[in-house]
Amino acid sequence: MTPKRKISLSEEELILALRNREKIAVEALYDMYSASLFGVISRIITDEATAEDVLQETFVKIWHSFSGYSSEKGRLFTWMVNIARNLAIDKVRSKDFKNQSKNHELENNVTFIDEQKNTVYKPELLGIRDLVSALKPEQRSILDLVYFKGYTHVEAADELGVPLGTIKTRLRMGILELRKHFNE
Amino acid sequence: MENVKAYIESGILELYVLGDISAEEKLQVEDMALKYPEIRAEITEIEKSMEFYAEEHAIEPPADLRQRVLGSLLINLGDDNTFTKAVTHQDDDHIKRLPVTRVNNFYKYAFAACLTLLLVSIYGLVNLYSKLQDSNTQLTALQTDKVRIANQVNLMDSQLDMYRDTTYKVLRLKGLPKTPSAAMILAWNSVSKKVIVDVQSVKLPKNDKQHQYQLWALVNGKPVDMGVFDAPEADTAGIKEMKAIASAQGFAVTLEPTGGSINPTMDQMVVIGQF
Repeated sequence: MTPKRKISLSEEELILALRNREKIAVEALYDMYSASLFGVISRIITDEATAEDVLQETFVKIWHSFSGYSSEKGRLFTWMVNIARNLAIDKVRSKDFKNQSKNHELENNVTFIDEQKNTVYKPELLGIRDLVSALKPEQRSILDLVYFKGYTHVEAADELGVPLGTIKTRLRMGILELRKHFNE
Repeated sequence: MENVKAYIESGILELYVLGDISAEEKLQVEDMALKYPEIRAEITEIEKSMEFYAEEHAIEPPADLRQRVLGSLLINLGDDNTFTKAVTHQDDDHIKRLPVTRVNNFYKYAFAACLTLLLVSIYGLVNLYSKLQDSNTQLTALQTDKVRIANQVNLMDSQLDMYRDTTYKVLRLKGLPKTPSAAMILAWNSVSKKVIVDVQSVKLPKNDKQHQYQLWALVNGKPVDMGVFDAPEADTAGIKEMKAIASAQGFAVTLEPTGGSINPTMDQMVVIGQF
């Protein structure tokens, strides 16, 4: 199967097309964001089939509740990643999922997935890949717990045995580090 | 401005972007972002950073999932706009709902039940009618019998009267040397002058159609016609009243041509008896 030509629109064009319920908006939405969202979902749900189901549910929910999104309150991806993360966390916490799968220890999970899957690095992001590996380990672990695992910063403080203030500081410092390199 | 800087540096904007914030705080941040463009810009920067962080960790989902997801979304898309207007359901519109077959079945079974009942009724009626016919026939036969027996009883009564009534004189007529087995019994009432023949006692040879027996009364040596009669069938009971006569010394019977004769044919005499 030859790779399909991926559709890419600017965020403004995409939002307009989604508002107008255009078919191209659906394809562009998937092509532009499925990998990023699947990356987040896969870090919460280790079972690949379940992660795929949740990705599908995520797009269905984005499509249905799109009228609830307002660009004034934030970027589209921020809104979507919150939907994906919440659906994934709900799935992990649901009874039947707990019964059917053994959850891995949280700390090991991210590295576990990185070993398991072929993480796709886009060529233009290689610089950022370097930067992320340049993040301090304590900054990275707090980012992963909150961003990928859906921990609140309070839970993360408990998990890592670090005071709340420190958690907030590390979070801000880590993101600032990301910004610095991103803006370069 | 110092206020805004402190707010930015508090780290709440990062938590806002990560969704790790209470609803109350969320409204507060959004309110601040509207008031201060620097805060709005700061939030956007954080969002972009996280977006790139996610891209850095992106995992390409399996190729077949694209079709699955797009399929489920495009089905909804069709429902949402295009198809509701473009597609008409004329074919469906012509489909008429057939009456529920259960109702049909009810009438079918009811009809079958009626037919069965009708046949059974007809059979019963025919049976009953033939029995009624039988009964009627039997009844008629019984009535005939009854009448016959009643008649017989009446006859027997009068026959008995003949012997009981002392005014009757019973006379046994005996056969002549030519007809030794012939015999008959008659009774004459001297008061009412009636002459009655006891039919059962008549023992005479059968007469043909050209001849009949004729009874004669002997009055002072002269024969007087008393009427004709036929030899009775065997076992015939009853009495036969002949002509009346005031006085007689005896009676005799001769075989005469049918209808009787004025004078008896003496050589055809079969029985005779005298008081």
